[in-house]
Amino acid sequence: MADPSAPRSPFAPWDRRELPGLFTVEESARRVGHYAWIEMRLFEALGGWVATVPELDVKTTLGRHCYHHAWHAELWHKRLPELREMRPERLIKAPNADLEAFVAALTEPEAPELTIEKLVGVFRVLLPRKIAAYTYHLAATSRITDAPTIRSLGFILDDETTDWREGEMVLQALIRTDDEVARAARRQVELEGFMVQAGGIAGPGSLGESPPSESPSTESTVGAAS
Amino acid sequence: MRKSFPAEDLARDGRFRRARMEDRFEDPRNDLAPAGRRGGKLPPDRPDAAHAARQMMHGIFVGEIQALEGAGRTVWDFDDDEAPFALKLDMARQCWDEARHTEISVKLGEWMGTEIGEFAETTFLYQAACNPDPVLRLTGVNRALEGLAIDVFNTMREFGQASGDPVLSFCEDWMLADEVTHVKMGSDWLRRLTEHDPERRQRALEFQRVVDKLFSFRGFRGETDENPIQLARTFRRMAGFDDTEIDEIAAVSEEAVS
Repeated sequence: MADPSAPRSPFAPWDRRELPGLFTVEESARRVGHYAWIEMRLFEALGGWVATVPELDVKTTLGRHCYHHAWHAELWHKRLPELREMRPERLIKAPNADLEAFVAALTEPEAPELTIEKLVGVFRVLLPRKIAAYTYHLAATSRITDAPTIRSLGFILDDETTDWREGEMVLQALIRTDDEVARAARRQVELEGFMVQAGGIAGPGSLGESPPSESPSTESTVGAAS
Repeated sequence: MRKSFPAEDLARDGRFRRARMEDRFEDPRNDLAPAGRRGGKLPPDRPDAAHAARQMMHGIFVGEIQALEGAGRTVWDFDDDEAPFALKLDMARQCWDEARHTEISVKLGEWMGTEIGEFAETTFLYQAACNPDPVLRLTGVNRALEGLAIDVFNTMREFGQASGDPVLSFCEDWMLADEVTHVKMGSDWLRRLTEHDPERRQRALEFQRVVDKLFSFRGFRGETDENPIQLARTFRRMAGFDDTEIDEIAAVSEEAVS
């Protein structure tokens, strides 16, 4: 039997979590606010589109996914006060006008013959961007101090990847002609343009690259101090 | 995408057939049906029981699609200041539930021997979900129509039990559980959003009465053997209706016969 008085490391040998992470409390909160905003816009759009698509399997898929993204928004809403943001609505906003323009373009199609355009926006542009930003957050933040965010990210990423795969399969089943291939590609190009301008769902720096206006001055300051 | 989406634009594939509510109500054949094909409670030994049950299931199926569409539009149509975030969360949850019900209804329809488009679709259910006031919309849909769904699912559940169809009774029982939840949502939001606005609450309850009356037309719902759909008092109590409210719906149903 092990000696109960023998000292043990507080971390198991296989536990490689380290301090610190890349994000401060404020930076994590800023990103979470943007995540909440885009999840809200997405679940609203999916709900609205249900009535506009004639394909029965797409209707039920949109209805199911609508709730997934609503639940993600709820998780982010609940996280903000835990990150010292007592007025969550202050941070639940688009990172910039370009992402607002992206959402406006994303939600513009209504006609029943535009199912491909609706789904391309969600499953070939927005969901990959969300998965990328969430994965970056998961990799960058401290796995000890920001563990509650990481737990939510795990649930959400599981949903997002499953939903992305399902949506992509629906799209592949819908796209059957050269014209439909061209329509899907055009739509993707159009919306990717907005997204690139926005810098991702959390704005510039969504994937860790520093905003252009900040990175040089930060580096020179550090260099000068040393 | 528009903020309000009319019933006539609801997107359907080529199998669906649309009928006007007034045409269905005013169809002179309603008075000419032979005794074996008249409405009334649906015992399995009625000569047209299988046909009537299939027709009912098809009606449930299109009703579920419209309920899904209506909940989805409530998520989209209102800005955050018109409908609180928590209300939209409930409606998103309802979208998922109605999507499942649509899937269940398609499979049950196949199980019972009908197919999509065998019967016509009216859009009155969705029309109730077009009210521009979110409180009236929630009251009309979640208390009146989802309340009707409680009655319908319980009736079909009992029909499944009486006819020895465990698949039908199993599925209806699961959907019944969801509908009780949806009615509770409606009652909860009616109370919360009109806490300081009794006039708006009265308008919402009046809208509910109108919808309840329309769906009791010609004795469709009630508590006698003449009514195809039986008022499910026990499940309505679970969903938060008090006995006075249930008595009122019963009275509305009786009035609607005449």
